[in-house]
Amino acid sequence: MNHSGCASFRKANLNRRAFLRAGSLSLLGIGMSDFFRLQSVMAAQGLENELNRAKAKACILVFLNGGPCQVDMWDPKPTSSFRPISTNVSGIQVSELLPRVAKQMDKLALIRSMFSEEIDHPEAIHYAMTGHRQNPAMRFPSLGSIVAKEMGSHKGIPPYVIAPGRSSRHFGSAFLGAEYEPLNVPKTDEGEFELPDLTLPSDISVERIEDRRSFQQVVARLYREKRPLAEFDKLDAFSAKALEMILSPAVEEAFDLSREPEKMRDAYGRHGFGQSTLLARRLVEAGCRFVTASGGFSWDTHKDHDAQIRDEGVPPLDQALAALLEDLKQRGLLESTVVITMGEFGRTTHVNPDSGRDHWPHCWSMAIGGGGIQGGQVVGASDERGAYIADRMVSIGDLHATIYKAMGVDWEKTYMSPVGRPIKIANSIDDQTGVPLHELI
Amino acid sequence: MNLVITGMRGSSERAFTLAGFRKMRRRQRLAYSSPFGGVLFFAMAAVAQFGFSSQTAFAAGETTPSEPVVASAATDTLPDAAPELIALRIVPEEPALWGRAASQQFVVMGDFGDGLERDVTSQSRFTVSDPDLAQIDESGKLIALAEGQLELEVALGGHSTRARVLIEGVNEQRPFSFARDIGGLLTKHGCNATDCHGSVKGRGGLKLSLNVLKPQADYEWITKGGVYQVLTEEVEGERVPRIDLDDPEQSLLLLKPTFEVEHEGGKRFRKDSEDYAKIREWIARGAPYEEEGTGAQRIERLEVYPRLTALKADTSRQLVVTAYFSDGRGQDMTGDVRYEVVNREVAKVSSTGVVQARGKGETTLVVRAAGRTVNARVGVIGEPVPDYPVLEERNFIDEHVFAKLKKFNIPPSGPAADAEFLRRVCLDLTGTLPPAGRVREFLADTDPKKRDRLIDVLLNTPEYVNYWTYRFADLFRVSYFHQSSNKRAEMYWHWIRESVAQNKPFDQMARERIGGQGFTAPTRHYHHGGGEMPLPSNEMAENVVLFMGRRLDCAQCHDHPYESWTQDQFWGMTAFWGRLTRLGWSGSLMVHFDDPDGHGEIGQGEKVIHPRRKLEVAPSFLDGRTLAEDKLHDPRRYLADWMTSHPHFAESTSNRIWSYFFGRGLVDPVDDFRSTNMATHPELLEALAQRFRRNGHDLKDLIREICRSNAYQMSGVPTGVNLDDELNYSWSRPRALDAEVLFDAISQVTDAYGDFGEAHTQRRAVTLICPDRHPLHVLDIYGQPDRSVIPERKNERNMEQALHVLAGSTYTNKIKKEGGRVERLLGAGASDRELIEEFYLAALSRFPEEPENAQLEAMIEGRPERKEAVEDLLWGILSSPEFAYNH
Repeated sequence: MNHSGCASFRKANLNRRAFLRAGSLSLLGIGMSDFFRLQSVMAAQGLENELNRAKAKACILVFLNGGPCQVDMWDPKPTSSFRPISTNVSGIQVSELLPRVAKQMDKLALIRSMFSEEIDHPEAIHYAMTGHRQNPAMRFPSLGSIVAKEMGSHKGIPPYVIAPGRSSRHFGSAFLGAEYEPLNVPKTDEGEFELPDLTLPSDISVERIEDRRSFQQVVARLYREKRPLAEFDKLDAFSAKALEMILSPAVEEAFDLSREPEKMRDAYGRHGFGQSTLLARRLVEAGCRFVTASGGFSWDTHKDHDAQIRDEGVPPLDQALAALLEDLKQRGLLESTVVITMGEFGRTTHVNPDSGRDHWPHCWSMAIGGGGIQGGQVVGASDERGAYIADRMVSIGDLHATIYKAMGVDWEKTYMSPVGRPIKIANSIDDQTGVPLHELI
Repeated sequence: MNLVITGMRGSSERAFTLAGFRKMRRRQRLAYSSPFGGVLFFAMAAVAQFGFSSQTAFAAGETTPSEPVVASAATDTLPDAAPELIALRIVPEEPALWGRAASQQFVVMGDFGDGLERDVTSQSRFTVSDPDLAQIDESGKLIALAEGQLELEVALGGHSTRARVLIEGVNEQRPFSFARDIGGLLTKHGCNATDCHGSVKGRGGLKLSLNVLKPQADYEWITKGGVYQVLTEEVEGERVPRIDLDDPEQSLLLLKPTFEVEHEGGKRFRKDSEDYAKIREWIARGAPYEEEGTGAQRIERLEVYPRLTALKADTSRQLVVTAYFSDGRGQDMTGDVRYEVVNREVAKVSSTGVVQARGKGETTLVVRAAGRTVNARVGVIGEPVPDYPVLEERNFIDEHVFAKLKKFNIPPSGPAADAEFLRRVCLDLTGTLPPAGRVREFLADTDPKKRDRLIDVLLNTPEYVNYWTYRFADLFRVSYFHQSSNKRAEMYWHWIRESVAQNKPFDQMARERIGGQGFTAPTRHYHHGGGEMPLPSNEMAENVVLFMGRRLDCAQCHDHPYESWTQDQFWGMTAFWGRLTRLGWSGSLMVHFDDPDGHGEIGQGEKVIHPRRKLEVAPSFLDGRTLAEDKLHDPRRYLADWMTSHPHFAESTSNRIWSYFFGRGLVDPVDDFRSTNMATHPELLEALAQRFRRNGHDLKDLIREICRSNAYQMSGVPTGVNLDDELNYSWSRPRALDAEVLFDAISQVTDAYGDFGEAHTQRRAVTLICPDRHPLHVLDIYGQPDRSVIPERKNERNMEQALHVLAGSTYTNKIKKEGGRVERLLGAGASDRELIEEFYLAALSRFPEEPENAQLEAMIEGRPERKEAVEDLLWGILSSPEFAYNH
């Protein structure tokens, strides 16, 4: 019977047990402090080894906002209007709407037994991103913020970017602090990525910025001298870093899609999904840790489901995702980049009177690959309709734990919230810690 | 609440008779049993402690009392280098000891010439007038031997004082109670603490309630065995009792804590200890719950002396803890309770109640005895300051704030300059900068009462109404998304605005919002998203946070792990929002009302089902009272009455309002009152709450009183000594402006509006009815809340802001806006000096100082393009911290 509580408690136990056993060791002439050293080295070794083997340095989340239909994509069933097709992995079939990704199936693992506790969008998105059910009195850090915190920023590139994005607490850092908030890259009305704050306005030269800053220094001098506060030093640090980013060709280039060859932009597809995933690849290549990409399509197809996903939804995703996997592979980045494609839940296997499909959190599918994840396999199974889990329920916490493990992050870690509540970084159902899927990694 | 046990000073002339003593005791009891005195408040609380300190854990079992002596071996002298001793005090002065093996811990406090008081217990010499009655040891612990009265004299450095001790009933004891006697031991040894068996799921299969919150359940787990389950009431596993009635010593309850068998928690007490003997004896007697027909005598309240301790580094202080029982008697519990220090970098405390200073700072200290918790505040202070400044105390706020500063050796910075005060109070009361002309006027005004006059003027401006409407619209979460339509959001917003404009008593406002029925403005927050019914548990948690400052959320799934909130309390409160229904999906049909009989659209509304018991829960107040059957038709109205008359209401509201003026609550975060998060100034908070309640929950009155205090009007410039002070208001620390206020200030200084629309409510960000209809990147990155949860504005600086200031559109575009301030001033032919002055007055509410003036002038002159240079100067001002912060 394991009633060991959360991970922080479990670790505390480990130490305590070690301490208790230490008494008998003194007979062997090993002192208490030696023992502690030994014990902690030994205890940490197993996990450490595992985490050291991790290959992933970055993660791209292709987010299908609104909830895609499992049976029309990763888990073909008779309840779908679309036929199943074979993939380049024998025995795995996907929907005919995904012909290009089917040819990359060796790079992807499919999870067909995902489970969410939430049935409506804001709640389910929050749940999928944080592993926690929403709570009006508490904010939880998102997967991307946790990865940013654990992995740190690299090569001066912002560690966590959402493109296209608008600030939302589902994707935020909560109590982890401003450093781990995502950088949101909005889109212009023309569908281009807007990067106003990373490049200077056309009429402001670098020299002008320097002039402005020297005015600011004169204005701020007296005030700052009287108040030698760390907070203001932090402001300086952010400002210096920001200027560095603005002036850094690497950052500007990373965000500048126009530097991609036309052929590459075509290959990803001239649509929301294509350009967003291409930008994600550029950012990861430049050193970003976590990028959330998405297309403009709403997967919340309560009406005319089949037509919508056939004509607008899946084909761009198919093109973009296949291109991304191929591109990452060719650049040698696939081994170090986890690619996740998922929504916040699935859709009903029956069709409603509006020819739509409604929300379905009880069993749904997603795809994950790269970053050392073993592709070309299926985890879990749904029943014959694709409606309920038939084998191996996978929780959001398990998924998060798998991603952390791939990235070398200790998935059993907890953070202490400001009110002293331990928050698991991989939070599964009923207050359990998520468990990485051993088939995948 | 008061520090207790301070005895009855000045009563020494009174004849010392038994009758007189008892009378005095009664009076003392009355004095401390205020309607919401310490105990009830702190009993709702316990300790959060993570990680396991082997030090405290193992120390607990190892304490052995030293041998009693008649008089201590102390030398009765002070070291030569010590400051002069002025007076000696002993605490308690007139204790009454009762019962078998009664004892009393004394503390001797010395007042010294350097202005400090020190614990001199260990240096002092004790003498008891009658050694047959009692003995005392070096640590100041007196042990009763026989009944009678005695005097205890204490002497040090030529001073002496005495305590009078009454000893009664040395052969009596209270009827046994499992909760008090066994539960008390489980608390004392940390067995039922959060990090052990008191955790949510228990530990190693044994679940105990946190600090004997549920003695009946604890008794069952111990005497019947079995493993607790969080999600159901079923018991897991075979039930093997943890006591062995035939062979008490073989009971797990004794084998584990003495470490005769493997125990994760280690050794908690020794086999030859008194506590071991007590438990063994209880099992041998058949392990009763309590003695038949006696009615358990519980600890009614717990008191600790002192509540506020200022310790110098490397010194220590003895605490005295007294429990008051339901039989009215007090008992020294100093050595029989659990002590926890929240911030162990500041201080540590031994199992015998000695606090030892570690590093500078302040921390909460929590004391627990069976079923009761009390807390105290410990500060480790710096060296005394020569020429400590004396400031005028304008009201009770100043009395409290200045007294603590003095006690903690932190010198206040002195009064703020006029310009500083003007900008601060305008921003705090109206969210608006004073226009340049007003700054000139105010600075030139020689009326000594001009500050009070200004406060009154500002309180009656339309900007005050705008700004406080925005504050409450934020807090009450007015948004297009939540009210699902402009019309409904507007109704809700207008209700807030009307309430602010009329200065409606805040309890009335709260009652309207909590208890609203039907299609009224304050019910509009019951609409969620597409019109779904609100989730009762969320409504409850939100209202308790808003109006009582407590977070009950943990108790949704299980009893609260650190505080004394049970899951039953959570769901009992939640049930007030159960059975809500509505008539239709849209428009005026969308009427929300309580509907126990089920006439609404969705039958009888959502029933609130207890997650463990799986039964419908009846509405019940936090104090356990269930709402009467005949009041079920309108349950939230009764709840609203209860909540607004509860002491938490005035206390948490005063605290929240305070935080708007000082950047932090006296309890901070403002909605996180708990035993381990004590107020920095408990008496001040109580005084604020009392005044607020007494004056009919008048917000303006409270705000005016705060603004008039010299504590609020403190200078924003630190001295070398008080720079690090973040808790005691010795100087006015810079507070980053809220996103909307900052944005409006930029618009105001640049005179560039028009970002939101043409309507009069759309000129400024603070007057927007539904901010979510007007998303703006700059507001986003400065932390404008989306109002989907109760906003917490951290106003932390971040990278996106730094990028935006340099390259973003807000600053650059507003500065060069056509018809804006720059263009207008240039067009009017202003000189460089005039421009600089105008910008400074408009943005920083002060005249430029001389070095600034000359330097800036030279810089403008040195540039080929004057317009560009002036724009860049304004950018320099708007991007400086002096502009972006209130101070």
